[in-house]
Amino acid sequence: MCKKMNESLAFLRDKYGIPAGEIVAGTEGFELALPDGKRIPLLPWRVERRFVELKKIIDGKTLEDVSTFRFAAFAPGSDPVKAAARELDLAVFLAGSPIERIFAVRNGNAACNVLARFANGMSASVECGSKLPANAAPMDRHEIIARRGVASDRAVDTQVPQSSIYEWTDAGFRTFTDTDTELFGLPDEQIPVVRAAFAVLKNPDLADEWIKAAGCMKKYAAAVTDSDAGNKAIEL
Amino acid sequence: MKPVKIAMMGMTHGHTRKYYQTLLENQKLDWVASCAADERAKEVYELYKTGVPCYLDPEKMLAEHPDIEAIVLASANDRHFEEMKFCAERGIHILSMKIPSFDMKEYDAMIDMVEKAGIVCQIELEMHYNPVVKRLQQEIASGKLGKLLSIQATNITLSPVWAFPWQGSPEASYGKRVPLAPGDKRFRGGALCDHPHIFDLIRWLTGSDYDTVFAQVAPNLRKELEVEDMLMAAGKLKDGTAFLFDPSWSRLEERLKVPAPGWEIFPKRMEVNVTITGEKGMIQCDCFGPNVYHNGAPNDRYTVQYTYFDEWIGLIDEFVDCIRNHKTPKINLKWHRQTIACMNSCYESVAKGAPVKVEGK
Repeated sequence: MCKKMNESLAFLRDKYGIPAGEIVAGTEGFELALPDGKRIPLLPWRVERRFVELKKIIDGKTLEDVSTFRFAAFAPGSDPVKAAARELDLAVFLAGSPIERIFAVRNGNAACNVLARFANGMSASVECGSKLPANAAPMDRHEIIARRGVASDRAVDTQVPQSSIYEWTDAGFRTFTDTDTELFGLPDEQIPVVRAAFAVLKNPDLADEWIKAAGCMKKYAAAVTDSDAGNKAIEL
Repeated sequence: MKPVKIAMMGMTHGHTRKYYQTLLENQKLDWVASCAADERAKEVYELYKTGVPCYLDPEKMLAEHPDIEAIVLASANDRHFEEMKFCAERGIHILSMKIPSFDMKEYDAMIDMVEKAGIVCQIELEMHYNPVVKRLQQEIASGKLGKLLSIQATNITLSPVWAFPWQGSPEASYGKRVPLAPGDKRFRGGALCDHPHIFDLIRWLTGSDYDTVFAQVAPNLRKELEVEDMLMAAGKLKDGTAFLFDPSWSRLEERLKVPAPGWEIFPKRMEVNVTITGEKGMIQCDCFGPNVYHNGAPNDRYTVQYTYFDEWIGLIDEFVDCIRNHKTPKINLKWHRQTIACMNSCYESVAKGAPVKVEGK
């Protein structure tokens, strides 16, 4: 998997004149290994185009006075606590504020529901689950509610992600959503990983920011577990 | 590879601003200058703060930057012939906007002068570099759908005329003042002239070409316009494929002088959707979706925020590759001629109220 991603990264590096680096598997996810031996945890969701666009909508004041994030993420066999930590990091990225309190309820490794409060007063709810059948595509939803406007990566009146192409043939029903011309052909889940590595190489200031954020994600996961175990809100 | 020294000219086309990021970021290019058609175009260009100098006289631009190798002709349709001549005479490669000319004699003269000059002339049909279209082409080529039987496609947008007035001028858009039909007070040069993409795409998907076409206009949504804003076309390809196209300006807009957030009234301001029926199945395709959505500033209307929009990256990559490696672009003047011929046939059909045989090559 890393070989293909690194070939794609090399293509981008060559095209845009960006310094060397390699995608490697880390303990918590993919990392970027730099020639000096430093390893940067990759946070692919932070460069996923839909989230970049949502951040633009917030930072550009298309939404005014954000109040609440309503996020959901369900994937077959996933770890709902890790998924919640990832969604919380995404919310921190969009909110531009750290989390100061987490309350969570879990039901084994099947589900995890979290309420979080940010230092700037914003609120977030995160729903995660792992019981989608093995071959099901991951399902998620991200809604941002503000005094002026609501933004979402899901169209109004739809519950599930839409696709660019719907195909009905003798082989059955298939969907496709291709979003990246330069990396066309790479599996959907690998594209943000390559883009994340490229982003760090292009903007080295991201390295320290992401190392810190990855550290915070571990704290979110621990807080989720502790909150559920003790039935109490955890201050961070 | 030595970066291509590139310039832009005209700066009055609706797609002008879409090049800025790519021209600045692509290491294979060195964007050295721009030349605006007039003071107004220069003023708008300067709003985007590209840092690239803008001239009003192409001769002066070339005098200051004699090493320019290629120019993007981002101008009104009626300027293309003179601008292409300017480039061809100087051996400068050309990236032309989507309609080189509707005048087929002029069009053939363009082919001639580009061939004689030995330069690259690529036509900007950016849908070819859209990842969804790439997938669509791949799925069809795989044979899963069998032989294609029918294609319906939309290329519907808001009207850009308030920001780019030449698109509402029959002379500047179509090249001359031709009434749509006897008794119709409108002229050729509207929505059809803005939307060649689906006319081009079907040729790529099927490998066939146009046989006959029938087109009809509807009452305009914008009564002030003297060009058509609503029309449909249906017909057959030589391989029997039936088609139905909607290339209208059917999405209303705020009448902004410079495109900006809040331009759209209908949530999605631009749509290219394709439905394909084959012998063994069918496909529905939205080339610009899904996206993210909001109802925030400036108008608090539900709005599609286009999220995946990088067609210009692939387009420019191909242009550079053709220049440096002496290749012919996929969408070159000769290839594109039949697309323009079919669009002309649509106008002819509107005038006659009858199907029209599309002119052969």
